[in-house]
Amino acid sequence: MGTCRQLQSSVASISALIFAMEAFGQTPPPPAFEQSVKPVLARSCAPCHNDRNASGGLNLDSFQLPASLTHARDGWERIVQKVRSGEMPPKGFPRPSQAVLEAMTSFVESEFERADRSLKPDPGRVTARRLNRNEYSNTIRDLLAVDFRANKDFPTDDSGYGFDNIGDVLTISPVLMDKYLDAAERIAARALGADPLPAKPLEAEYHTKDKTIRRLDPSNIEATHRVGWDGEYIIRIGLPGQRAEDAKPVTLGFWMDGKLLHTMPVETKPSKLVYFNPYSEEEFRLILPEGDHVFRAGFIDDPFIKTLPAGDAYSDKKNKFLNMIKFVGPFPAKVEKISRKKILLCDPQTGTAAVRQACVDRILATVARRAYRRPVAKAEVAQLSKFVGLAQSEGLSTEQGIQLALRAILVSPHFLFRIERDADPLDPQKVHLVSNLELASRLSYFLWSSTPDEELLALAEQNKLRAPGVLTAQVTRMLADPKAAALADNFAGQWLEIRNLDSVKPDPQKFPEWGPELRDAMKMETRLFFQSMLTENRPLAEFLSARHTFLNERLAKHYGIPSVVGPDFRRVELSTDQRGGLLSHASVLTVSSYPTRTSPVIRGKYVLQNILGAPPPPPPPDVPVLNEEEVGVAGSLRDRLEKHRSSAMCASCHNRMDVLGFGLENYDGIGQWRAMDGKFKIDAGGTMPNGKSFATPAEMSQALTGELPEFARCLTEKMMTYALGRGMERYDRGAVRDLVKKLSANNYPFRDLVFEIVQSLPFQSRRGEQPRTSTTPKAKEIAAR
Amino acid sequence: MTTGKLLTGKSLPRRTLLRGMGAAVALPFLDAMTPAMAATSKATGPVRMAFVYVPNGIDMRNWTPQEEGPLTAELPRILKPLEPFKQDITVLSNLTHNNGRALLDGAGDHGRCCGAYLTGVQPRKSYVDIKAGISCDQIVANQLASKTRFPSLEVGLEDARQAGDCDSGYSCAYTNNLAWRSETQPLPPVLDPRALFERLFGKGAELSPEARVREGKFRRSILDFVTGDTKKLQSTLGPTDQRKLDEYLSSIREIERQLERAEKDNAQINPGMPKPYGVPADFAEHFKLMTDMITVAFQSDMTRVLTFLVTREGTSRAYREIGIPDGHHPLTHHMNNPAMIEKVTQINTYHVQQFAGWMEKLKSIKEGDGNLLDNSMIVYGAGLSDGNRHTHEDLPTLIAGRGGNYIKSGRRIVYRRETPMSNMFMTMMDRMGVPVEHFGDATGPLPGLDLA
Repeated sequence: MGTCRQLQSSVASISALIFAMEAFGQTPPPPAFEQSVKPVLARSCAPCHNDRNASGGLNLDSFQLPASLTHARDGWERIVQKVRSGEMPPKGFPRPSQAVLEAMTSFVESEFERADRSLKPDPGRVTARRLNRNEYSNTIRDLLAVDFRANKDFPTDDSGYGFDNIGDVLTISPVLMDKYLDAAERIAARALGADPLPAKPLEAEYHTKDKTIRRLDPSNIEATHRVGWDGEYIIRIGLPGQRAEDAKPVTLGFWMDGKLLHTMPVETKPSKLVYFNPYSEEEFRLILPEGDHVFRAGFIDDPFIKTLPAGDAYSDKKNKFLNMIKFVGPFPAKVEKISRKKILLCDPQTGTAAVRQACVDRILATVARRAYRRPVAKAEVAQLSKFVGLAQSEGLSTEQGIQLALRAILVSPHFLFRIERDADPLDPQKVHLVSNLELASRLSYFLWSSTPDEELLALAEQNKLRAPGVLTAQVTRMLADPKAAALADNFAGQWLEIRNLDSVKPDPQKFPEWGPELRDAMKMETRLFFQSMLTENRPLAEFLSARHTFLNERLAKHYGIPSVVGPDFRRVELSTDQRGGLLSHASVLTVSSYPTRTSPVIRGKYVLQNILGAPPPPPPPDVPVLNEEEVGVAGSLRDRLEKHRSSAMCASCHNRMDVLGFGLENYDGIGQWRAMDGKFKIDAGGTMPNGKSFATPAEMSQALTGELPEFARCLTEKMMTYALGRGMERYDRGAVRDLVKKLSANNYPFRDLVFEIVQSLPFQSRRGEQPRTSTTPKAKEIAAR
Repeated sequence: MTTGKLLTGKSLPRRTLLRGMGAAVALPFLDAMTPAMAATSKATGPVRMAFVYVPNGIDMRNWTPQEEGPLTAELPRILKPLEPFKQDITVLSNLTHNNGRALLDGAGDHGRCCGAYLTGVQPRKSYVDIKAGISCDQIVANQLASKTRFPSLEVGLEDARQAGDCDSGYSCAYTNNLAWRSETQPLPPVLDPRALFERLFGKGAELSPEARVREGKFRRSILDFVTGDTKKLQSTLGPTDQRKLDEYLSSIREIERQLERAEKDNAQINPGMPKPYGVPADFAEHFKLMTDMITVAFQSDMTRVLTFLVTREGTSRAYREIGIPDGHHPLTHHMNNPAMIEKVTQINTYHVQQFAGWMEKLKSIKEGDGNLLDNSMIVYGAGLSDGNRHTHEDLPTLIAGRGGNYIKSGRRIVYRRETPMSNMFMTMMDRMGVPVEHFGDATGPLPGLDLA
């Protein structure tokens, strides 16, 4: 996070300068340090920040010479940032005119820029990256067509700089190694289909009375079920209750992961078979793929339920409804596994010994090439084929031998790590382009969180990736692929903290509506919104001010938006300004709240950190805690918080934070619109440090679009961090600045950002390693940031 | 592979123990077993006590034998599957659970009869603040705890939650459990055969010894392979990347050490069956899997006490296996409709049929001069007699086995009406070497089981 702050000032000033130049058609004369800086320091800053009274730990004695702009750069950047945001000089102290302050900050920043321009471009260096859990799962999926959920088996990956794909932080422990070995064994067995199915079918039941079923509405139930084996299953649906004598049949539907798999007609009138607890079951057989899936059963277009009073929906005398999904199986399916076909390119068990050996070698070379994301040497294949021999000497089949070799491939460092090479790894001056193969992996793990596909790998092998137009064409192709959803899940999920929705626990007393269904709907809205921004190449401003979103019935109800019916998501144009843009998404509003109430502080910090890229420093210790009982009773939250930060120490940060948080007070702790907090009317008005004032959340989002350069820089840094798998350093400033400048020319189109990152120096190149100094942060320190 | 010598005195089959490369954790099984064996004579073996409970009552017209005393005539329809074991069972009539009755607590006979069944007390009518009593099996389990690896086992065939209202204000804890460790703590039955398997035999037990040795060899060669690859790779990298691969290598070395330890430390029990995959869809299959494992646990003296809640009290399970798609509970409220009574009888019979399969298995295992069944007393019964009217007197009850040459079986004993069921539990506890002065609403021991 620190990097956003470090870079903020310089970029802001660039855009300010550009604007000034365009407006006046001339270059402003550069004022000297002595004229524009020193007087301000002496008059407005030194009274507190001197050697006797170094307020906030800052003593300006060492900032008196122009040379300090170079050797005390970090300190100067902080000063500029504080002055620019209006934090300094603090309220109640004599303040120079805005023009004077502007002249000072502009001068300092132009000096920074000049200094940076004279530096040799430095692409930085990425540490070997271990595949994280998502990358591992996706890679296994694309390599072998096996569905493996590493999130369930492997320990959580550490994250640094807000992301869990940072090379320095991704460590490997004996526990994880053990999991890798077990996973490799299972994956190899599943891929080749050597695991026999259970001899007798198994059953798994999901029932409303055991709370293992989610009721989406009176006509739909849903359960998450792990299908243990690829195969055929009998599915039974429990249908309690009965309708009137003359009731019409309905259509029963069955969905997996949102896809309709089966329909059948169902009687709803009394069966007269039992005296009480009327109940019937329907069953059908389907082929299901192994893995975790969300299954839904429901009545399609059931007009009867709309005529029924809500209280009778689950009365077995009045209605027929659903309460159970049961899976019985597996029964062997007749279709050959895709993964088997993928691996067994030839039959390794027929023909002469030489033919068989050639086939084994071909199979192993093909798998290893894809797994290692590069061509493999003959010697490597020979090593792998020894496993086949080992298995055979133990009385196992050739196929089982290939399975053993596959296990070895899946725990090899060539598979588990993405390692990039340098001709001279110890010379930091030697900048070079990463190889075509390395670039292919960079691309695919950036855009897909997965391994390069055949087309990309083949281009890289032929060294054609950097041929004119090829890279752009590949990125275009890759973004159009469904696998690009990984950007929404892994980049946006962490940037916008949406992943935290799985761990937040809104208080069920205060928010009885909260549940997995609402939670999933919230996630989906932001995911779809992010994807539409990307695929439609929308301007970044629309992240804040879009007039559309994506809703299903559950979420629309939550938002008070009528006539969105059914559990499927669709694009909805917004007719009021209660919603619009990310900051009105329930997902964002929920992850930035406490379990029992909203927190203008957390929300304010969220906006500063994730939108403006200027996170506040952590609060000092011993901060008194807000008494929650009194909120909404003894005074509104705003009153309480304003009292709370009457202390000057707190105020300097909170003035910035809270105004943004209060602007979102019309949304409660799970993002529902409200006009009142307890018995107090919500006052969402405020004035931003840049002087813009607003009265509603929509106006605030609008005001934030005025900070577009900050937002663009923040998002660029975050996406660059994610794309490279390392934190932003000082030498990255130039690349970030150039990139934001380029985007600004076209009103910051979002998809262009992805293209620009791919073309950027840090993405295309690397260098040897700087000799290690004691100041190099260790993995733990990075993770702690 | 060598056979554990400790066991030769206990006439367990040789394959009951094995040595091979196994899971990293060795079971402290042998130590636990030695005192148990010392305490019992070679001829008899320890006595095991088990309770097999079926829900929703039993159709008494097809349960109760006509004759009193020795069972000579053909058994009634529901008991028919036990015909081959007629001389091993004792049918008891007129035992009553008064505490299953309403006694001013109103509706909820299903919750009450099950909660009272082994505790002998009237459970508190609540679905939040539950209270019954320590069940007789747990009293025995507590006393025998030091003698076996597992003081007791609780199994069942139906998944069941432990909270909420399951019957007219009675918590699901009452209908879904038999064993109560304390007044407020029921012990939920294990449903999944795989979970029971792993609990009894450990996680690595599914591989044969040969397969385990082979798997060890494979893992080691994989580790050798990647170690070699890594070292080659490492030499060409910068210092930070080298450090990353050092982490990887040291993890590999740790795994190698674990493998070595596991190979040294490898005593494990052989269950004599493959590890189950999960819950079988077929009821009979499920029943057999569970009782197969219980049999091994009894045979190797891993435990002497069992409660087996076949399905939960009040269940509406359908029995498609025998062509009955209707729920069990709704069927038992048959209002004397002959078609529905017929289905109830079929379900009752189906249950006894599974039970007979288990008896056959127990009987086939020699122990001392007799067999495993001889050394057991397994109560089979229900908490209600007539499920249609919810009656608590003359509960369907039989004991399979002789409790170690104690029970003179092959008879039907008719007690005085309203004889407390708790009296039988008192006598059984005594037979297990845990005499108690009071239990539930018992008025004294149950006479006549040993014909004395």
